[in-house]
Amino acid sequence: MKDDHGDKAMFWAGGTDMMLHWQRQKYHPEFCIDLTRLDNIGDINVEADKITIGALVSLTDLENSSDRHHLLATLSTVTKLMCTPQTRTIATVGGNMCNASPAADLSPVFVATGAEAVIFGSSGERRVSMFDFFEDVNKTALRGGEMLKEIVIPLPQERQIAASYRRIDRTVVDIALVNASTALTVDGDNTITMAVVALGAVAPVIVRSDAAGAGLIGKVVSDVDDGALTAAGEAAAADAKPISDVRASADYRRDMVKVMVRRSLSDCIEQLKG
Amino acid sequence: MTALKVNGRTLEVGSRPDRTLADALRNDLGLIGVRVSCSEGECGSCTVLVDGKPTTSCLMLVNQAEGREITTIEGIGTPDDLHPIQEAFVEEQGFQCAFCTPGFILSAKAFLAENPNPTADEASVAMSGNICRCGAYPYIVRSVLKAAEKLRANAAGQPAE
Repeated sequence: MKDDHGDKAMFWAGGTDMMLHWQRQKYHPEFCIDLTRLDNIGDINVEADKITIGALVSLTDLENSSDRHHLLATLSTVTKLMCTPQTRTIATVGGNMCNASPAADLSPVFVATGAEAVIFGSSGERRVSMFDFFEDVNKTALRGGEMLKEIVIPLPQERQIAASYRRIDRTVVDIALVNASTALTVDGDNTITMAVVALGAVAPVIVRSDAAGAGLIGKVVSDVDDGALTAAGEAAAADAKPISDVRASADYRRDMVKVMVRRSLSDCIEQLKG
Repeated sequence: MTALKVNGRTLEVGSRPDRTLADALRNDLGLIGVRVSCSEGECGSCTVLVDGKPTTSCLMLVNQAEGREITTIEGIGTPDDLHPIQEAFVEEQGFQCAFCTPGFILSAKAFLAENPNPTADEASVAMSGNICRCGAYPYIVRSVLKAAEKLRANAAGQPAE
């Protein structure tokens, strides 16, 4: 149907963002393709080497999955910051991704944890990293009649991963002024082998600051001091390209990137120290 | 026509697809206990239960609700036979103007089904998606705790107090 009607038809999952776009005349759909009755992409599966989150998983279901894996516990705390309890029952994880807001709360966590989007369309299935999934504000790697099927978070083998998310907002039921998610992977000796820093609301897409992560690789978790965390925050702020808008000035956002990254990394380190 | 299962009855509403569940409930079925205030899913006054889950009916398309069990405030008690949550709100004065109250009561109903013995903080977080512009929040939290007490007493087979 999407192939037949092109831009006139829009996929509709929870619709919590779409309804607002529609009311504000941003989109003029002639057909809404309701996805909520598809039943095989609404599950969360935890396996030894990956966690799969179906695109139609509601934010409430994600929130309630916290006891199934520690990364799901991190995602659960993120969902609690999103909209309201009665909107989370209908809003979906896939919808949050496909709306591609640079301030979306889940996006930086998926980027930090190295997750991949599984996309399917009439020509079959393909995979794109969540980092490449976002192309611009409200624009994703989906083409033509393609749909997001699920998000896959790979789990490192014989290593541990910890992820955290921090954000600054103005008030309740608000989007982030700035957010950051970080993920640290350590080997058996608690030496950091991978450090990913992802920033939201500081560019049209999620920014991944490789410079911020680079300074931590090779360090033993217990040796990471405040100086190293501050340096990572500074490096991340240098990679941010924030704008000034009604919510905050660019300078404030850049300053807050430093704080969010430092705190988020420090959360990860606490988790890894156990 | 679209058939909706509302408060235990199956009712038909006009099937224009470009309308919200809140609109159909209010304008076709006259269920004006569904209050629409912000239309953006922020204020919670349009909260109804869809398959038992609290849902902002201003953000749901009417066709998406087809075949699901919808409960509005009109479906949980009558003036002569109030639901225990409604009784608790009256007794603890959990409202001022009462515009937001149906939404609060439905949020409370779903919450107490999951957590029958909440703390004040848990009740407060659970009610966080509903805005009361009169600011009756402390009374609302007390009402929810009182309602929990009543429901627990009912479940144990004894009348409250």
